[in-house]
Amino acid sequence: MQYNGGSIVAMVGKNCVAIASDLRLGNQALTIATDFEKVFPITDRIYLGMAGLATDVLTLRERFRFRVNMYSIKEEREIEPKTLAQLVSSTLYERRFGPYFIEPIIAGLTDSSKGSQPFIASADLIGCLNFAKDFVVVGTAEDKLLGVAEGLWEPDLEPEDLFETISQTLLNAVDRDAFSGWGAVVHVITPDKVITRTLKGRMD
Amino acid sequence: MSHYTRTQSQQHPTQRQFNPYTENGGTILAIAGADFSVIAGDTRQSEGYSIQTRYAPKVFKLTDKAVLAVNGFAADGNMFVKKVKQRLEWYRHAHSKDMPLRSIARLIQTMLYAQRFFPYYVYNILGGIEEDGTGAVYSFDPVGSYEREACRAAGSAQSLVQPFLDNQIYFKNQTPVLGTSHPTHLPLRHVVQLVIDSFTSATERHIEVGDGVELYIILARGRGTQGLDSFKDVQELTPHAEGERLFVLRRELKKD
Amino acid sequence: MNTLVSRFTSSSSTELKALDSRDPDYGENEASDITWGSLGGFGNLGLNGIPSFNIPTVPDPTAFLRLHTDDAADSSCRIKIQHGTTTLAFRFQGGVIVAVDSRATAGSYIASGTVKKVIEINPHLLGTMAGGAADCQFWETYLGSQCRIYELRNRERISVAAASKYLSNLVYSYKGMGLSMGTMICGWDKTGPAIFYVDSDGTRLKGDVFSVGSGSTFAYGVLDQGYRWDLTDEEAQELGRRSIYAAGHRDAFSGNTCNLYHVKEDGWKFIGNYDITKLHYEGSQGAAYGYDQRTQ
Repeated sequence: MQYNGGSIVAMVGKNCVAIASDLRLGNQALTIATDFEKVFPITDRIYLGMAGLATDVLTLRERFRFRVNMYSIKEEREIEPKTLAQLVSSTLYERRFGPYFIEPIIAGLTDSSKGSQPFIASADLIGCLNFAKDFVVVGTAEDKLLGVAEGLWEPDLEPEDLFETISQTLLNAVDRDAFSGWGAVVHVITPDKVITRTLKGRMD
Repeated sequence: MSHYTRTQSQQHPTQRQFNPYTENGGTILAIAGADFSVIAGDTRQSEGYSIQTRYAPKVFKLTDKAVLAVNGFAADGNMFVKKVKQRLEWYRHAHSKDMPLRSIARLIQTMLYAQRFFPYYVYNILGGIEEDGTGAVYSFDPVGSYEREACRAAGSAQSLVQPFLDNQIYFKNQTPVLGTSHPTHLPLRHVVQLVIDSFTSATERHIEVGDGVELYIILARGRGTQGLDSFKDVQELTPHAEGERLFVLRRELKKD
Repeated sequence: MNTLVSRFTSSSSTELKALDSRDPDYGENEASDITWGSLGGFGNLGLNGIPSFNIPTVPDPTAFLRLHTDDAADSSCRIKIQHGTTTLAFRFQGGVIVAVDSRATAGSYIASGTVKKVIEINPHLLGTMAGGAADCQFWETYLGSQCRIYELRNRERISVAAASKYLSNLVYSYKGMGLSMGTMICGWDKTGPAIFYVDSDGTRLKGDVFSVGSGSTFAYGVLDQGYRWDLTDEEAQELGRRSIYAAGHRDAFSGNTCNLYHVKEDGWKFIGNYDITKLHYEGSQGAAYGYDQRTQ
């Protein structure tokens, strides 16, 4: 997990969710790139983030794209966040004894016809799901993220306040982690739009 | 004490190793203000998943203006504090005064480095009031490298607490409103509240932190108790109000 | 000088005292007169001025120490000694430039971003810190007191060569026991500006350009490219700063801030402390250092 570095955090707000990642791609101590995004849109209102081995991040992005496409063709509807979480879990568990070295985070809103509820989840590298009500963290800075998030997060944050909270959490956590940082990207998902912003972070 | 023994049943050599160290968990934290210093530690002592006791102090009064927090291997920590106190008493007998804070810091460095080849497994944070009346925090590694800082967390939850403090004490990653600037020193009431919040947060997310927290607050000579009055059950440890004043504040933490 | 020579002809084991209650001297060093009063600072210096250390009573104390402190051999070991650094020094027409970063890491955790990696030995000598923080801090402070004693005995300042040799002989006497230092002793003496690289293996090299630490390769890249003997003071300072920035940007274990010193004939001068992220976005004299900032 420390080979390429990288960290992701997701948080629940009032009728919105946010997911953010750093931008570093490293080869152990050497920083290779500072524009490596680890969070990908799955649908208009669901984002999937993967922290860990970069080659597996790219492989799984394509695999999940394929599986989600197959799902929507068969079902003739968009996938729900909790369904995606189960899909991610079972995909990872297929490789129980030779796992992909990534830890995923899912953040999204449920179908608006069912009330558009915020949803976040994380899993370990073999797919054990964690449905949290507040925030989830993965990556080389997970302990740092956990500490800051526990101090800054509060329930029912509006989209702009949630953006500020998740940004501060990520930036301050990765500044104490040697393998994460070099900029960040934040997505705030609300029922009518997704706000994506790139943050200037410490570059060392 | 490493030696080879040959057991009767299986004719394989077994290697045994002398391991004098263990890790007893917990977290310590110190913040320096303009004319005060706050040093805190939780009171849980554990080994692995077992709690050995819910009340084992990790923060100790050295003099009226110096407090030492120790974290890591409790046996080494307690012995180290004992030896520092002894050296400070000798100093008092030789010079009829308390050792200044920066000298205590250097003393701790040499005492730790004397054990360079058999280290005390202890992370130390020294807090107090400098001779010029400013609040100070010194942090040490197990073999004695040290630095004066304004804010430092150490122990098992240091990685949870320190980035939070970077944000709240140093205002890292925060841009001040145009035409204003961040304060260089925070007021005492605010600092005490942040310390308590840090420990409540660490208790939520770290299994080795909890049970209770002890805060030692040292006020510079002549400073009033403003900022402390809003907290109840503050106990004073110094007998008279002239000179530096030392207070202790205890709070319960979750015990699960 | 004879006392100096005789001190280092003895083998290191005679300077080490085992922690053993059967030893009649046990505990005595700690309670010697020197520990009582004004020498409280260097309390473990015996009456002869030589530090003594407790060592564990095991057949192989070095293996014992390595087991508990060497995180390269075993990452689960409990006592983490700080690693990861970029330090550099170079000689030029105007003296010596010394530039270092300020990051200390324990595993992936950035334990500190405000470490002073330049140790001010005395007003004419600087030492840099890479490897074990405590080893560098302690022995270079100790070197400072020995240099002062030299001045009092000989009525003149110690040369950079002699000071660095004192340190190198000292660490050599502990060879194989686990000290970890990679340092540059920089100063100005009768011979002009001088740099000596000294490390805990016992290497001692005189040279014009050195860089030490995990980020040294990145620093060398910039340094070698921009180095000339006839650099002006401003150009030289900028080169030192720019090299540390490069290392801070690319090396995960280096960064936070750059501390810059300039040694001239009348002693060293602290030039400044520069935030590496600020150098990336804004530079030091207007032009940003970051390549994405310059090319966008």
